[in-house]
Amino acid sequence: MTIISAEGERPNAYTIVETADEAKSASKPLVPLALASEIEVPAIPYGLLVPNDAPVDEIAQHFSSVDLIAVTFPAFADGRGFSLAKRLRREGFEGTLRASGPLIADQFADALACGFDEVDLPDTMANRQPVQQWLEMKDSMTVHYQTGFGEGQSILQQRLAARKEAAQ
Amino acid sequence: MAKDHRAGSKVKGDKLPAILMASDLLEGDTVFLFKDGWTRDSREARIAYDQETADAMEAEGKGAAAANAVVDPYLVPVELTEDGHPVARHFRDVMRQKGPSVHLDMGKQADFGPIA
Amino acid sequence: MYRYDEFDERFVRERVDQFRTQIARRLDGSLSEDEFKPLRLKNGLYLQLHAYMLRIAVPYGTMSGRQLRQLAKIAREYDKGYGHFTTRQNLQFNWPKLKDIPAILDLLADVEMHAIQTSGNCIRNTTADQFSGVAADESEDPRPTAELLRQWSSQHPEFVWLPRKFKIAVTGAEHDRAAIKVHDIGLKLKRNEAGEPGYEISVGGGLGRTPMIGKVIREFLPKDELLAYVEAIMRVYNAEGRRDNKFKARVKILVHETGAEEFTRRVEDEYAKLDGPTINAPQEEIERIAAYFAAPDYEDLPAESVTLDSARREDAGLDRFVEQNGFAHKQPGYIAFTVSLKPVGGVPGDMSADQMDAFADIAEKYSLGELRVTHSQNLVLPYVKKDDVPALYTELKAHGLATANAGLVTDIIACPGLDYCALATAKSIPIAQEIAKTFADDARQKEIGELPIKISGCINACGHHHVGAIGILGLEKGGRENYQITIGGDATEHASLGERLGPGIDGEDVPGAIEAIVETYLGEKQGSESFIETVRRVGADPFKTRFASFVEERSKALEAAE
Ligand code: SF4
Repeated sequence: MTIISAEGERPNAYTIVETADEAKSASKPLVPLALASEIEVPAIPYGLLVPNDAPVDEIAQHFSSVDLIAVTFPAFADGRGFSLAKRLRREGFEGTLRASGPLIADQFADALACGFDEVDLPDTMANRQPVQQWLEMKDSMTVHYQTGFGEGQSILQQRLAARKEAAQ
Repeated sequence: MAKDHRAGSKVKGDKLPAILMASDLLEGDTVFLFKDGWTRDSREARIAYDQETADAMEAEGKGAAAANAVVDPYLVPVELTEDGHPVARHFRDVMRQKGPSVHLDMGKQADFGPIA
Repeated sequence: MYRYDEFDERFVRERVDQFRTQIARRLDGSLSEDEFKPLRLKNGLYLQLHAYMLRIAVPYGTMSGRQLRQLAKIAREYDKGYGHFTTRQNLQFNWPKLKDIPAILDLLADVEMHAIQTSGNCIRNTTADQFSGVAADESEDPRPTAELLRQWSSQHPEFVWLPRKFKIAVTGAEHDRAAIKVHDIGLKLKRNEAGEPGYEISVGGGLGRTPMIGKVIREFLPKDELLAYVEAIMRVYNAEGRRDNKFKARVKILVHETGAEEFTRRVEDEYAKLDGPTINAPQEEIERIAAYFAAPDYEDLPAESVTLDSARREDAGLDRFVEQNGFAHKQPGYIAFTVSLKPVGGVPGDMSADQMDAFADIAEKYSLGELRVTHSQNLVLPYVKKDDVPALYTELKAHGLATANAGLVTDIIACPGLDYCALATAKSIPIAQEIAKTFADDARQKEIGELPIKISGCINACGHHHVGAIGILGLEKGGRENYQITIGGDATEHASLGERLGPGIDGEDVPGAIEAIVETYLGEKQGSESFIETVRRVGADPFKTRFASFVEERSKALEAAE
């Protein structure tokens, strides 16, 4: 797997576990949501792996013990993860948000704008679309209309600022 | 216009003889597999009379799609004219082979003359 | 009309460059066809039966003469000298090459146009009444709303990978010419009891395989809360709309399966959690956009024009044209015109590059440089002085654009169908041509009166056949093209879906069947009733009976011939 953040490739600290026992022994377990209520809360925060249709309330119960939530994308064209990310941020999750699955570089900017920090890409995809391509596509648009998405001001906000300046 | 559900060629019975049709990636127009690569003139299209040849042509088409030369290759059951030219048996494939019925001055029918 | 500022300009230019990169990455194999396809669709690019097809956005159907002239240039240089206006107020080119697309997009950007989100599973071109701003029955102009939504929905980070396409329409008039009840979201501008502006919002209308009429989920939403509320609807749909079956993926199915009440509750829940002020457009922005749609500087003119009245008495053709294609204007002394792209025997919605150039000149000379595209694949000249009509008529006639059939039986909506479309199951355009020829006689058309016929070449219903007074759907049956006929559909404020008359018939029998239906209408008609009014009063039964005997006669004739 390859982890890509806005700054480029980064190392992965988490290992997916399938049982409560495995979770105990792993240094940084990535625990599937279905298993999360069975395992003892470890001293160090762990990662939570959630399907893209999981109820936000259910995920939110674990906020205090996790420092990463990985949202799975079964296919790149399945956009549910974007709305889930937006809702998790709204519920106050401040750890790392990871999009896990065969996303394409063209979706990177959108994923970041919806609140994701990184993408966990299967190697088959990373071979075709290397990290450099992800970084280039991320910057292919420098303006956006939607307020409340992504970094920097929306076009609407920039217009407002420009008007204020002109009025002064 | 909505997506997918390609009408395809739902021809009943024997699917042979057949030719292989696809769209050219760069130009978008209909192309046919012929003895060496692809042609725009269906009269030159390679014709499969047996399953083995048809399978080989299909594999060749898939290879060309994987090599980013063509899109959506598929076998098209045909009949032969007296001159031995293939004509698709399904009306949808005929439309692709000839060009729009409402614009006889466009498409393959305009480029290569009437096709049966 | 709206003009780009530096931000809009930058946005569109960057999108062109982005797409240029996407094409290059497709060609070098970085993107597979499966990945590239949704990306190209989101920029209006299809791969059809004979070639690529590029669909260009005409936001809410409004265009300038300058833009039309640029389209003519593109048609000549990169296509085959014509374009096709669609039922979503857009324009399609049928023959562009992938390698030329970036150059075409550059030319479009030069005149503030683009192809963004004219296809794909995202929010599509927002449509509005083609007579916006000029209709006598309009209470509020829908275009500023449509423009705000156009901007907000463009490359929305969260809503470009929806379960399915998503269409929004806005109207501000008594008479709904935007068909808001058959859209995913329909917005009706209204005022509450206190006189404050806002919207009535319906969700879940649509045509296609499972046609449905939209349900009102909010009786009144204050105007400045629009974007946040739409965001709430979109989020519920994006998270919960079905993705297991694409025929069940439209929001109408979600509304239907969860129930309108429960769906409304979920939207309102989501809405309550949103921080509205951080999402909505500030008042200054709403006003900035609205200013572009302020009424033009009309001249002070008498309501009636002596010049026009006397010219009409002299020229029967002109008189007919004004009667049939004229549309009542808000402003005294002015009139709006539907310019029909349905000459008998032509391809509905097609316009040649020469006609585009000529019409651009005409719009500049007679209509303040502006024209509109209608969802019935016609054009509109919105600002014509009555005094100018005789001269305008002469010029339109010279370019084959004076067909006086707006709304009549030959003003047929037809999707591209099997002549172009990769999804088609049957031809659509040739059926329209044959029907038009059957009813070509002007006196007969006039006698029949208003009768919208709509034809789709497959179940996707781009030709809106469900809401045609007569609807025709082309399918494949037993290896042949087969046509189902419905009557009683209506896309206006009385929205209703058509009812099937009987079994499907062969294409060559369609004109005869339509004649039988029309005869039945003329026999049942009372007073000045229109076709749809008669159908509403007497129901479908007399038509079914007549249709059944038509089908029987035809099969007997066929047997006898064998
Ligand atoms: S209705 Fe079907 S055939 Fe007609 S344009 Fe739409 S998808 Fe194509």
